[in-house]
Amino acid sequence: MCQHCKDSSAPNPSHFEEGDGLANSPAHIDMAWSEYNELIKGMRFFDPHIHMVSRTTDDYQAMRQAGIVALIEPSFWVGQPRTGLSSFKDYYSSLVGWERFRSSQFGIKHYCTMGLNSREANNEPLAEQVMEILPLYIYKEGVVGIGEIGFDDQTPAEEKYFRLQLELAKEAKLPVQIHTPHRDKKRGTERSMAISLEHGLDPSWVIIDHNNEETVKSVLDQGFYAAFTIYPFTKMGNERMVKVVEQYGPERIMVNSAADWGISDPLAIPKTAALMKMRGISDETIRMVTYQNAIDAFGKSGQIDVSDFEGGLSVEKTEKFHGNSILRGGQQPDVSKDSLVIQ
Amino acid sequence: MSHLINKTLWEIISQNTSDTESDWLTEKGNASPIELMTAFVSSPRFLSKKIVNVEIEEEKALDDIVPGFSVNGWSLVRLSRVWLLTQLDETEKESFIKNIETLFDTAEMNELVALYSALPVLAYPEQWLFRATDAVRSNMGFVFDAIALHNPYPAKYFSELAWNQLVLKTIFNDKPVHFITGLEERENANLALILSDFAHERWAAGRSVAPNVWRLVSKFMNEALLSDMRHLFESGQTPNQEAAALACYDADFAPAKVLLSQYSEYEKSISEGALTWSNLEFTDLNTYVPTLQR
Repeated sequence: MCQHCKDSSAPNPSHFEEGDGLANSPAHIDMAWSEYNELIKGMRFFDPHIHMVSRTTDDYQAMRQAGIVALIEPSFWVGQPRTGLSSFKDYYSSLVGWERFRSSQFGIKHYCTMGLNSREANNEPLAEQVMEILPLYIYKEGVVGIGEIGFDDQTPAEEKYFRLQLELAKEAKLPVQIHTPHRDKKRGTERSMAISLEHGLDPSWVIIDHNNEETVKSVLDQGFYAAFTIYPFTKMGNERMVKVVEQYGPERIMVNSAADWGISDPLAIPKTAALMKMRGISDETIRMVTYQNAIDAFGKSGQIDVSDFEGGLSVEKTEKFHGNSILRGGQQPDVSKDSLVIQ
Repeated sequence: MSHLINKTLWEIISQNTSDTESDWLTEKGNASPIELMTAFVSSPRFLSKKIVNVEIEEEKALDDIVPGFSVNGWSLVRLSRVWLLTQLDETEKESFIKNIETLFDTAEMNELVALYSALPVLAYPEQWLFRATDAVRSNMGFVFDAIALHNPYPAKYFSELAWNQLVLKTIFNDKPVHFITGLEERENANLALILSDFAHERWAAGRSVAPNVWRLVSKFMNEALLSDMRHLFESGQTPNQEAAALACYDADFAPAKVLLSQYSEYEKSISEGALTWSNLEFTDLNTYVPTLQR
């Protein structure tokens, strides 16, 4: 797990492309699933930020095994700039189509947030076209917010489309998931909040993402939700996360993995929960920051029905609502990854 | 046709909705195309999540208007979406087609299910042929099921090539072929041949074939298929043997009768009506797990 801890070279960062001087401190204690799974036995987790389009089926299986029952996939860029509207359309469609189906096969309920990301807001001719089709997607079943939107370079174009999308969120009565910038983060975060308030958004409908020790106080003080991304090397480590929870308590705080195509960890939440448990944080607090708060925040969309996943997402139940109450089928068989023989 | 279907669908909807829900649907169903299309998308926000109850008379009425069309087991949202589509103004062909295409292009999974479910009752049916074959290509199980199972559109409009792909993919995905509407009417020699090849590959891999699929070969029984029947009889597994017996019994091919006579107990139960294909209509198929019988 920690092979990269010894390696001081940049570990292919993507979601967060700039280190913050922590590259030498390991993000996790070296502990195998078999050792920490007892600590989190019976816990259910909700990952409110993870980019499954760039994850494998191994990840889905591991997530399910570790207790993740539902997730939110925010729309984002795809590692390189899109060159036309059709790529946006296909991407948005995949978030409510193929990826949603793929997730259901592993018994994980898949939600998403829709939006024009800050980087690509800078391509104004394309951004204009994207804004035109966005309303087609935001009312779809299982769309729990507008996101992830906000600032990257904090350019005027980014601000323009950020504001337009805040208006869209208000009109559609959807929560907002705000990506905070990597560079000039503190001021970028303050600016994002100020603009949201200026547009008349209720801060309890806005989730400020990718917080750290420097930003959290102001976010909570102003009534917003504060999300923390546990992402090795470049963002929050989960030991630091434990300290934040110890200091601020569970109210309006949520943990996510933001796992994507870079070196990231789809099990960031269960691992953080295990660490919290080891450090003596109460089960109720763990439940709030790894499950309930995300549901309360994004549930304002009216799109989260906890009965869909509370007892574990039953594949039969999912199929019933696609009109196949009779068919079994659909769930991926469990394959033993450690077996040499492939049948 | 569309008017009658529309009326019957509404009768079912009105028995399954609250006043608020049916008022919302009535309003949206009579609104401008854009508003109606938005309602198609947003209906889960306004309609309760439940499976509709369909009376036997309504079921029969639907089948009388469009043979094979059924809404049994549908969710209220799916049914309402299909009804909304039958409310969409179809007088101007071009704009009607453009509107439906837009819905397809931006659809999420459940919307796709509704769109494909609606094909048998949509205007300009030939227009949707490519879309329908594309649904067969889908790897989203629910979307595939919406076109392949309990849907009369493919049997009516698919070419033989497209039809055979649909049947094969159903088999390949371990879904029950007897849920395909028009299965018997669309049997063909090519399909029987492909099935034989398919079975050989499966057997070579130590896997099995759902016994029910052999109902598709009896009309085309020949020496090659007969050797498959022998393989089934010799597999030692009762469902395989029953399938071979039924296929031989139905076949108009003398050597098949000779083979069947060696398994007289099966021949007897078929002629007595105790053994039919419905005995082999399993829905919990799992043919990828290697069988003990190689």
